[in-house]
Amino acid sequence: MEKVIEIMNLTKSYGNGRGIYDLNLDIYKGDIFGFLGPNGAGKTTAMKIMTGLIRPEQGDVRILGHSVTEEYEKALAKVGCLIEIAESYHYLSAFDNLRQLARYYPGVDHKRIDEVLELTGMLKFKHEKTKKFSLGMKQRLGLAAAVLSRPQVVILDEPLNGLDVEGMIDIRKMIQHLAEKEQTTFLISSHLIHDVELTCNRIGVIYNGKILNVENTQTILKNYATLENYFVSEVERNGRVSSSAS
Amino acid sequence: MAVFQAALLNELEKLYKKKKVLVAILLSLAVIVIGQLVIVGVRSGFGLRGTGSVEFPMLVLSVVVNTILPLFTALVAIDSFSGEFNQNSMRITLTRPVSRFKIYTAKITAIVLFILGALLLLLVFSLLAGFIFNTNSATLDSLGRTVFSYFVSLLPLTVLALAIALLANIFKSGIAVFFVSVLAFLALKVLGVLFSQYSSLFLTTQLDWYNLFLVNSFPILKILRQFLIMLGSGIMLFTAGFYIFDKKEF
Repeated sequence: MEKVIEIMNLTKSYGNGRGIYDLNLDIYKGDIFGFLGPNGAGKTTAMKIMTGLIRPEQGDVRILGHSVTEEYEKALAKVGCLIEIAESYHYLSAFDNLRQLARYYPGVDHKRIDEVLELTGMLKFKHEKTKKFSLGMKQRLGLAAAVLSRPQVVILDEPLNGLDVEGMIDIRKMIQHLAEKEQTTFLISSHLIHDVELTCNRIGVIYNGKILNVENTQTILKNYATLENYFVSEVERNGRVSSSAS
Repeated sequence: MAVFQAALLNELEKLYKKKKVLVAILLSLAVIVIGQLVIVGVRSGFGLRGTGSVEFPMLVLSVVVNTILPLFTALVAIDSFSGEFNQNSMRITLTRPVSRFKIYTAKITAIVLFILGALLLLLVFSLLAGFIFNTNSATLDSLGRTVFSYFVSLLPLTVLALAIALLANIFKSGIAVFFVSVLAFLALKVLGVLFSQYSSLFLTTQLDWYNLFLVNSFPILKILRQFLIMLGSGIMLFTAGFYIFDKKEF
């Protein structure tokens, strides 16, 4: 299987003791990889390093064979991402926001912008400035921006933040459709355990900055009633006694 | 190069879509109109000549190069950096396949183009106002010197933009950057008066360097020295600003 993302010995620590330590992970083509962990476990830190927002102290990430620290432009050429809150220029319309991004990718024209706006249900707000968008609308626009360039790899950090039920279902369908039809690889972090169970085909549990285990969703569900049970057992097995485990 | 072009085009679009450009245009025009009204008032009230047609643009330049142009430069530079840091919108560009060096350079280039646009606007309108309202004293030589004076003023203003960009990368708050910039500007002005023998080293003095080109003897060595001081400080400020920008975590 072709490795799309290789995380090698990745380390980044913060003053407050949090961070990630010696993280190693491979993600393969067509995976919808769920990065599961509690708040402050290191999910966002790892994703920020992958997308060049912060630099690692040690280790590296290779995306489609290119190092993020050494060949940033090449590494990110076929990557779409949404990190934490979907940001936009509030004085620009939804369309203008996407047009700003489209300029970095040859082959992304106005038709494609309309396509992704349609895909995320934002076409009717195309010419509205994002200043007055709700959190859910901003999130949808952020997802449209993430898939705009027809990326081979999509990194999504808490993509369902602020979305209503209908929005969650739409986005889940979109992710599964892109993974199936276009072999797009997804790396999704979430603390919404049920949604990870429904969306992802491989799961990595991260806790206190370390990967505890990586397993196929199907295998997990064979052995455990729910993903939540698996998650709790993994965390407990690694030394944490949870009061909410039962 | 295509990536840099895209980054530059994006920066220019952001500048244009914000209302700041419109405010800059209106303020520039207001300076010209008020200046012209003062001159007409002086002429009719006191019977003084005021300025000739080509002298008026030089009068405008001497005023704006120490007032509204540094102010515009500060506002645009602070908005381009501190504004995007605070709103987290810098992430939008940073997570695209474009290096931080290209982003930083595109931002600085957009600010320089904005200053150039403001200078050209002031030149054209002050020339027009000068020709319409004042006695005609234009010669091709004086016109050429006027145009040249406006263009060479771009260099010290660029150095100023680089200095403010550096401050914007050091301080978190845009307001802090603005106040530090204003205080530093005033301090350099005072230091320039107190230590006039070293004043050529100060950025605030360099803003008036276009005067060197108006002297009939054309002090080439002095011009070259000033140019090299500005070039050197510009390179250092760019490097320092980019270094901090490159190390920033978002």
